[in-house]
Amino acid sequence: MLIPRKVKYRKQHHPSLAGRAKGGTKVNFGEYGIQALESAYVTNRQIESARIAMTRHIRRGGKVWINIFPDRPLTKKPAETRMGSGKGSPEWWVAPVKPGRVMFELSGVPEAVAKEAMRRAMHKLPMKCKFVKREVEA
Amino acid sequence: MSEVRIAAEPRTEFGKGAARRARRAGKVPAVLYGHGTQPRHINLPGHDLMLALKTPNVLLRVDGIEGGDNLALPKSVQRDPIKGFLEHVDLLVVKKGEKVAVEIPVTTTGEVAPGGVLNQELVQVEVQAEATHIPEGVEVDVEGLEAGAHVTAGDLKLPTGTELVTDAETIILTVAAERVSEEAPAEAEAAEPAAETEAPAESAE
Repeated sequence: MLIPRKVKYRKQHHPSLAGRAKGGTKVNFGEYGIQALESAYVTNRQIESARIAMTRHIRRGGKVWINIFPDRPLTKKPAETRMGSGKGSPEWWVAPVKPGRVMFELSGVPEAVAKEAMRRAMHKLPMKCKFVKREVEA
Repeated sequence: MSEVRIAAEPRTEFGKGAARRARRAGKVPAVLYGHGTQPRHINLPGHDLMLALKTPNVLLRVDGIEGGDNLALPKSVQRDPIKGFLEHVDLLVVKKGEKVAVEIPVTTTGEVAPGGVLNQELVQVEVQAEATHIPEGVEVDVEGLEAGAHVTAGDLKLPTGTELVTDAETIILTVAAERVSEEAPAEAEAAEPAAETEAPAESAE
């Protein structure tokens, strides 16, 4: 699972989910991609689960790119604990994703296979997503 | 490539308010510049422009502005990242017979030999061509290419009158050996128990 090797501060403020993605909104590496339509925190478990769903469906060939990295820790206080006594301990690693962001890319497989693989991967993600293709423009 | 005639109207009011009003009216704010002329701010019909821009490097004949009609190429197209509608277009004035540097798409035809996976590194190459004769794209035949083979920009067969600007040694596509099919499920099963054991370790931090 994706996890930062080293962090400067173990406990951080919550990342912002306001606004839209200001970069990474196009398919750059592969031919097909999964684009977020809502904002959400995507955990490292969800990323791994989506990747597995995709690679299991495509079976052979194909290449998968993961364009997001869960480098923000979220903390949680233990159950049945009174308020106070400082911030809880890190519980999840998340990637804050805003609408428009292309999270996964895929190439080397026919479009029908890519569509189905990505549909399966989308079910593992916490927001509405859509299947996008690479566009060549001026 | 044939040119597309598009009717422009001069834009007199600026800023996000005016731009949004224009977009609501089905127009796209644009700017036309090049050849040392002053930039001209214009509005273009949204639907016509959207259809025209489906062709890469489409040659537009912009008329309806002072100084007669102009031949122009789209230099930069801004779209809404989610909905995909056009937000703004930069148009570069060109002249007949002038050579321009543009990026054209590289497409592949055929299937690689069994056991190979096609990996396209570069999807566009920069070429220099006459503004009125820009090729729509360049095709690479990958039929029967074995694993380990590669195609460089120098190998591309460009139409006459078109010169390559991208470095000839740049790799366009490679063919890699296909991975063993059993790897994905086995790896996934191994990853699941590992994930369960990793979670308490994180929370204990």
